[in-house]
Amino acid sequence: MPPAVELRDITKRFPGVVANDGVRFEAAEGEVHALLGENGAGKSTLSNILTGLYQPDEGEILLGGRPVDFGSPRDALDAGIGMVHQHFRLVPPFTVAENVILGDHRGEGKRFLVHPRRIERRVAELGERYRIAVDPRARVWQLSLGEQQRVEILKALYREARILILDEPTAVLTPQEAESLFETLRVMAAEGRTVIFISHKLHEVKAVSDRVTVLRDGKTVDTVSTASATPRSLAALMVGREVSLAERVPRTGEVGEPVLEVRDLWAPGDRGGDALRGVDLVVRAGEIVAIAGVAGNGQRELAETVTGMRAPSRGEVLVSNRNLRGGDARDAIGAGVAHVPEDRLHTGVAPSLSIASNVVLKSYRGNHISRGPLLKLRTIREHAAHLIHRYDVRGGGPDVPARQLSGGNLQKVVLAREFHGEPRVLVVASPTRGLDVAAIETVHRYLRDAAAAGVGVLLISEDLDEILALADRVAVMYEGAIVGERDAGTATVEEIGLLMAGGDGA
Amino acid sequence: MIRIERRLTQPWWLGVLVPVGSVVVAFGVMTLVLLATGHPPGHTFSRLIRTGFGGMDALNATFVAATPLLFTGLCAAVAFRMQLFNIGGEGQLYVGAILGAGAGLVLGNHTGWLSVPAMILAGAAGGAAYALLPGLFRAFLSTNEIITSLMLNYVAALVIDYLIFDSQSYWRDTSTPTAKVFPQGKNLPAAASWPLSHVGSLYLPFGLLLGVVLATVIWLLYTRTRFGFEVQVIGDSPRAAAYAGMRTRRKILAVMALSGAIAGIGGASQDGDFRHTLDPRGLTSAGYGYAGIVIAALARYNPFAVCLIAFLLGGLQNAGYALQGVDFPSGLVGVLQGLILFCALGGELLIRYRVRLKTRAAAAAEAAAT
Amino acid sequence: MLLASGINDSIVVVVLASAVVYGTPLLFAALGELLAERAGVLNLGVEGMMLVGAVLGFWAVQRTGSLPLAILVAAAAGAAMALIHAFLTITLRANQIVSGLALTIFAGAAGLSSYLGNDLNVADQPARHSFSSFLPHSWRTAKFVGPILFNQSALVYGSWVLVALVALYLNRTRLGLNLRAVGESPAAADAMGINVVGYRYAHTVVGGALAGIGGATFTLWITPQWVDGITSGAGWIAIALVIFAFWRPALCLVGAYLFGAFSGIPFTFQARGILKSVPPELFQSLPYVMTVVVLVLVSSAGARRRLGAPAALGTPYVREER
Repeated sequence: MPPAVELRDITKRFPGVVANDGVRFEAAEGEVHALLGENGAGKSTLSNILTGLYQPDEGEILLGGRPVDFGSPRDALDAGIGMVHQHFRLVPPFTVAENVILGDHRGEGKRFLVHPRRIERRVAELGERYRIAVDPRARVWQLSLGEQQRVEILKALYREARILILDEPTAVLTPQEAESLFETLRVMAAEGRTVIFISHKLHEVKAVSDRVTVLRDGKTVDTVSTASATPRSLAALMVGREVSLAERVPRTGEVGEPVLEVRDLWAPGDRGGDALRGVDLVVRAGEIVAIAGVAGNGQRELAETVTGMRAPSRGEVLVSNRNLRGGDARDAIGAGVAHVPEDRLHTGVAPSLSIASNVVLKSYRGNHISRGPLLKLRTIREHAAHLIHRYDVRGGGPDVPARQLSGGNLQKVVLAREFHGEPRVLVVASPTRGLDVAAIETVHRYLRDAAAAGVGVLLISEDLDEILALADRVAVMYEGAIVGERDAGTATVEEIGLLMAGGDGA
Repeated sequence: MIRIERRLTQPWWLGVLVPVGSVVVAFGVMTLVLLATGHPPGHTFSRLIRTGFGGMDALNATFVAATPLLFTGLCAAVAFRMQLFNIGGEGQLYVGAILGAGAGLVLGNHTGWLSVPAMILAGAAGGAAYALLPGLFRAFLSTNEIITSLMLNYVAALVIDYLIFDSQSYWRDTSTPTAKVFPQGKNLPAAASWPLSHVGSLYLPFGLLLGVVLATVIWLLYTRTRFGFEVQVIGDSPRAAAYAGMRTRRKILAVMALSGAIAGIGGASQDGDFRHTLDPRGLTSAGYGYAGIVIAALARYNPFAVCLIAFLLGGLQNAGYALQGVDFPSGLVGVLQGLILFCALGGELLIRYRVRLKTRAAAAAEAAAT
Repeated sequence: MLLASGINDSIVVVVLASAVVYGTPLLFAALGELLAERAGVLNLGVEGMMLVGAVLGFWAVQRTGSLPLAILVAAAAGAAMALIHAFLTITLRANQIVSGLALTIFAGAAGLSSYLGNDLNVADQPARHSFSSFLPHSWRTAKFVGPILFNQSALVYGSWVLVALVALYLNRTRLGLNLRAVGESPAAADAMGINVVGYRYAHTVVGGALAGIGGATFTLWITPQWVDGITSGAGWIAIALVIFAFWRPALCLVGAYLFGAFSGIPFTFQARGILKSVPPELFQSLPYVMTVVVLVLVSSAGARRRLGAPAALGTPYVREER
C-alpha cells in the first residue's frame, strides 16, 4: 500500500540559504510520524510546502501514491491536509466558530451564514469527541494559548483532514497539557489518519511517535522506528556528532548582594486586567535566576516592567537598592539593567540600520560616543568592528544592515551590546529561540560568563531543559505571580511542570 | 512565473537609477497620453523644457517657482523620514505666510533691517505651531497625523481667505476705494522685501539661498547628530526605540515643529521674496504643499536631492503655468507629477526586491538536470 | 424658526434636507473606502477618484444623455484609478500612503480630471440631464419628512440600498467573513485558502468605483456642471468618515449626513441671512474641524482597542517573506 504522504527530492531555496535540499519523507496511514531536527534544519519549510504555502523549487509531493501540485493553501486543504502552526493562524476578533469555518468553500451555501448555530454545534461535537472542547462562541483573543491551539486542531478536523501536521505544538503547553495532546493524537491515528509531529524535543518524539525522520541542514539524515532509537542516538543524528546532552555546569563564582529586587509588582496587561499580580523576586550578583512558565502568564510583562518598557501600577523594582522609575527605559538602562529581548529582530535592533548603529543603540549619548550633540562616527565604527571581532559575529562588517544577519549572529550583536555596557542586571528572554545548536552553546556560555563576572542574570525561558541546565534557582510564573521557587540542581521536570500548570508545588 | 525575493543588499546606484528611470518612464507614458488626446508630444515637451530651463529668463522664473517647493519638499522629507506623514505642509505654509506678512507689515515701517529676520522667525514660529497641533494629537493620543494635518490645510486656507476677503483685518488693504470693493492684502513696505542676489544675469531669491542652507543643516542634523540618530531609529523601528529608552513623544513634537517651521519659512518667503503681500488666491491655488510631498518621495527624503528635484519640478510648474492656455493641456503638470511618482513608487520595488522571471519550462529543466 | 409657510420651510428641515444632499457623495465614497480598508488597503486617493468620476460621468451624460450610462462611466473611471493604486501597493508593495497621495495628485484638481475637463470641453455648460426628485408630489411635501426623505433623487435612495447591502455582505455572508479575515489577519486567511491578493484587488477597485459614483453625484445632481476641483475636499472627509464610523456601514450613513449638514449650513444660513455677522469661513471650516475632533476622540486608546481598525490595514501581505 502506498504511503499516505510522500515527499521526493524536495528542494527549496531562499536568498542566501537552501532550506530544503533533496528531502525525502514518507508517512503511512494510522501513523504518528515525528519530524525531528534542530532549529534551522528545514522542518517548518517542509511543512509549509506540504500545506501549499510555499512551492518547492524541485521535487514532488505524492498523496496515496499519486503526484499532487499545491499551488496554494486551498489546494492542500482540499486534498485533506490540515496544519496546526507554531504561530497560530487565527483571526483574534473572530469567534471560534468563525475561525473554524473560515475559507471553507464546501457545503453551507455561499451567500449566507445561515446557520451559525449549526456550525457551533458541530464544533462542540468535535471538541467532545477528541477531548479538546472549546466554547464555540468565545472570541479567540480571549482564549489561552492552549485553547487557541485546540481551535487550530478543530479547524483541521472540521475540514476532515486525513493528514494532520503539528509544528512544535508543545511550546505553549504545560507538560500535563502536552500529555493530553498526545492522547488526542493517538486517537486520531487510531482512526486511520496520519499525524506528522514536528519537534526538536527528543523526549516528546520518544513519547508520541511511531517513527522518526531526522532532518539536518535541510537534508534527510535517516528514518528510524522510535522504539529502536534512544534520545542519544536521535541527538547524534540531529546534530551529526556525539552530543553530551545538556548537563549542568556547577557554578564557579561567588553569589553576592542582591542586584535586582522586585517587590509586590503589579502591572497592567495589553488587553485590560493585570498581567503581573504581586511578583516578588530577588536576583543576586553572580547568580542565574530563571523564570519558568507557559507563555502568556506574565513573563513578557515582567521583563518589560523590570527593564522600564512597561509602567507598573503598584510595587517597586530596585537595582542595587536604587528604586527604578517605572515605565522609563532610559532610567533602567542608566541604573545598569541590560535587556536581551524576546523579539531580537524587531525590538532588540533597528533592522534596517547598520550593525554599527545598533551597537550604540543605547550608548550613543555617552561621552566617548558623542561630543555634545554630534556623534563620533569613526569611533562608532571602530567600536562596532571591535565587538564584531571579539564576539565572532559572522555575516558582514559594521556597515551591514542588522536584518541581514542570521538569528545566531544577530543575537551575538545584541549580547555584545548588552554585556559591553557592564550591566549589573541582565534580563534575557527566550535567548536561544530559533538558534542552531552551536549558537545555543555560545549563548549559554556568555550567560555563564556574565554570571561569573558578577552580573545578576534573570533568564526567562520556555525551554525547561535550558533552565535546568543553566540556572541556580527556578521561579515558576503562573497567572502573573510567582507560585514557587526551587533550587535548579534538585528540581524535577514533573515538579516544575505541576507548578507551571497552577498546581500545588508542595 | 514571477518570483519576488527580498534583496539582501541594496546597491547604491539603484537608489539613483530608479528615480531617474522613473522620470524617463513617466515622460514615456505622458507621450502616449498626449498622443491619445491629440497633442503633439515632441512639441509639447520642447515647449515645456524651453519655458522651464531654456535661457536666463526661464531659469530665473524657475528659481521663483522652485523656492516654495524647496521648502515644502524639505518639510515633508524631514517628517516622512521618521514615518511621520505630515501632509499639512500646505497649511503650515499659509500660517507662515500670515505671520510673516504680519511681521513685515508691523516692523517694515519702523526698523528696516530687522523686518527680514523677523519675518523668517515669524513664519517659522507660525508653521511650527500649526504643525504642533497634529503633532500633539499624534504624540499623546496616537491620532493618525495624516488626516488631522490634512484637515488643517483646509482650515488654514479658510483663515487666510477670511483675513483678506471677509474681514477688516490688519492684513487687508483698506486704503483705496477700489481696495474696499475688491479685497486684497496690504502691500508690504519696501524694507520687508527680501534681498535678491545676482550672479551674472541669474537672480537668486533670498529664500532659495536660505532653503539650500537649511537643506545642508538638515542633512548634518540627520546624519551627524544624536537627534538624527534617534530619528533614524524611531523611523525604522518604534519598538526598538522604546526599548533603547528613546523619548519618542518628544521626538515627534520636535520633528513636527521642525517640519512645520520649514514650511512656514516658505510661506514667509512667498510674502517677502515674491508677492509682497498676503495673497490668498495665489497661495491656495498653487498647491505647494502637495507638490512638496511628491518631491520628498522622489528624493527618497535626502535633503540635497530635494534641492535638485525642487529645481526640476519648479521648472515644470513654471512652464505649466506660463504655457497655460487654449493650446496647452491644462492639468498636464499634475498628470506628469503623478506619473513620475507612480513610476518612482513602482521602482522602489526594484530597489528592495529582486524580481526574477521563471517560466515553467525553465523550472522543469532545472528539476530535470538534478 | 418657523416661517409662515410652514414647517417644511423651517431652518431645521432645510438643513436636514441639505444634509442628505451633501452627505450623499460622502456616503458613496466612504462605503467604497470602507470596503477597501476592510481588506487592509488604505487608499488616500479618494479625492482624485471622485474627481475623475465626476468629470467623466458628466462627459458621458453630455455625449449620450443617459444618466444610467453616466453613472456606469463614472464608476468605471473611479475603478480604473483605483486599479493603479491596487497594482502599486498590492503587487509592487509600494507604500500605501504615498501611493494614495500620488493618485490624488495625478487625478485631482490640477491633474487628470482637469486635463480631461479641458480636453473634453465640458466646462461652462449645464448638464444635459441630471438626477432630480421623482416621487409623487404629495410625498415630497409631506410634513417634515417630505423634503428630507422624499424630495431626494435616485442617487440618495440608491445609497441607502447600498448601505444595507454592504452591511449584509460584511456580517452575514461567507465572502464578507473572508474579507474581514483578510483585513485582520491575512496570514490566517491565506492559510485557510482565501485568496488574499484577489480580495484586496477586488475591494480596492470596487472602492474606486463607488468613489467615482460619489464624484458624479456632484456633477450629475448637486451642481450639474463641471468645474475644476468641484468636490473641494469631499474625498478627504470621506476617508475620515470611515474612521469616524468605526468601519461600519450604518455609522457611515449617520456620519455622512452629519458632515453633510456641516457642509450645507454655510449656504443655508447665508441665503437666510442668519448669523450674518459670523463669517462664512467659520461654517465652512466646520466639516474639517469636526473631522479632527472626531478623529481625536476616536483614536483614544480605549476606543481603538475595542472597535478598532482592521489590524492589517496599511501593510502589504507577503507570503514568502522570511
